[in-house]
Amino acid sequence: MLTDTENIIEVRGLKKAFDQNMVLKDINFAVKKEEKVVIIGPSGGGKSTLLRCLNHLDGNYTGDVLFKGQNLGQLSKKELQLCRRKMGMVFQQFNLFPHKSVLENITFAPIKLKLLSEAEAIDNAHDLLKQVGLDEKANAYPQSLSGGQQQRVAIVRSLAMQPEVMLFDEPTSALDPEMVGEVLGVMTRLAKTGMTMVIVTHEMDFAQQIADKILFMDNGHVADIGTPDYLFNHSKNFRTRTFLAKVM
Amino acid sequence: MFDFLQQYYPVFIQGAAQTVVISLIGICIGILLGLVVVAMNLSKFKPFAWLAKTYIAIVRGTPAMIQVMLIYYVLSKALPIPDIRFLGSSLDRVIPGSIALGVNSGAYTAEIFRSGIMSIAVGQTEAGISLGLSENTTLFSIIMPQAVRNILPAMGNEFISLIKESSVLFYIGVQEVTAQALGVGGTLYNFIPPLLVAAAIYFVLTFVLSQLLKLAENRMGRKYVALN
Repeated sequence: MLTDTENIIEVRGLKKAFDQNMVLKDINFAVKKEEKVVIIGPSGGGKSTLLRCLNHLDGNYTGDVLFKGQNLGQLSKKELQLCRRKMGMVFQQFNLFPHKSVLENITFAPIKLKLLSEAEAIDNAHDLLKQVGLDEKANAYPQSLSGGQQQRVAIVRSLAMQPEVMLFDEPTSALDPEMVGEVLGVMTRLAKTGMTMVIVTHEMDFAQQIADKILFMDNGHVADIGTPDYLFNHSKNFRTRTFLAKVM
Repeated sequence: MFDFLQQYYPVFIQGAAQTVVISLIGICIGILLGLVVVAMNLSKFKPFAWLAKTYIAIVRGTPAMIQVMLIYYVLSKALPIPDIRFLGSSLDRVIPGSIALGVNSGAYTAEIFRSGIMSIAVGQTEAGISLGLSENTTLFSIIMPQAVRNILPAMGNEFISLIKESSVLFYIGVQEVTAQALGVGGTLYNFIPPLLVAAAIYFVLTFVLSQLLKLAENRMGRKYVALN
């Protein structure tokens, strides 16, 4: 089958169950280069599971997930690793490595995978840290940072791999309210550089601002899909409107 | 009561040295074996996991003394180890004996490693894998260093039991400190004083080791506090 190579990510007929519980029921969508796709919806609707299927962190699904035309389910371990390098992932719980300094968190993978020499990786890490205002924390350990700072480091850690797409799994949900802004700010600036992004979030204002396309997921389905203007202002979909009425 | 030491102290020193040597070899083999077995145990390739679980079950479910004797008798038939004297015993006893200690300890260290790995949040593995690192790199560079810190107290206990249990090698004729004490006791027709000396030697060895481990724990804990 021919694939549209402009699509960085393509999902076709994706279904996934945990035991008897169907959490993804026939999902179809694509993410184009430089596109910002935001996934919203009620908790338990399958948003995070969908995101985790995009870089095959969750396997055991049926259907196809394609990254630049490569079907992740059919790749060898090595090929899958090569794809994952190109797909940065930011987690709700940051998941920084607590036994490594901020700098080591950022440089470990690029050095280990021989993408950069040690000197280049360190220079690159300092550059990226400067961009998120955290260069003075380069030698600190994660537990001495605030949640917002940890999440900014986590974003930098992913960016250091020079990914072609960034996946965000509720990046601000574990943060104190006053720290949400600094992380969303970093993401907004990243969006302006032309990065392709897929974001699961509960921040509706942010979704509206940043998205080219919003997926509304409910009960394992993509219940509604469209531009922010369509979804927030014109959608006739009952479930979309009920959900938005509740959260906004 | 301890006058005999003037004459017999070299015997105890030799026995203590032998105990240290067999324990060190046993600990090293145990750690290496434990690493291999835990990797097998957690492997997605079922026969590996099955093999690892069987090994752990057998070692934990049978007496160390029988394991040591079985390994000694099997190895002495299978491997032609030269009869060279080493600290009062023949190498053809010391080598199978140390291997047996390692094989016994490996099962316990594998389980300690497993508990350490389980103690690290899944998110750490996911973070490693989503950076494009292999599962092995993630295990050995991300999970293990954190696990080691969490398991250090349990490993300390295991090392200490191994030093004490190394006395089972007496049954295959390794002249470690218990064997030497019994030997001296036989000559004196009085076992109590030499056994007390042996007990004191074990106590000093395990006490020094536990202090060293405490030091290591403090050093490793200084840099960061566990997030989990």
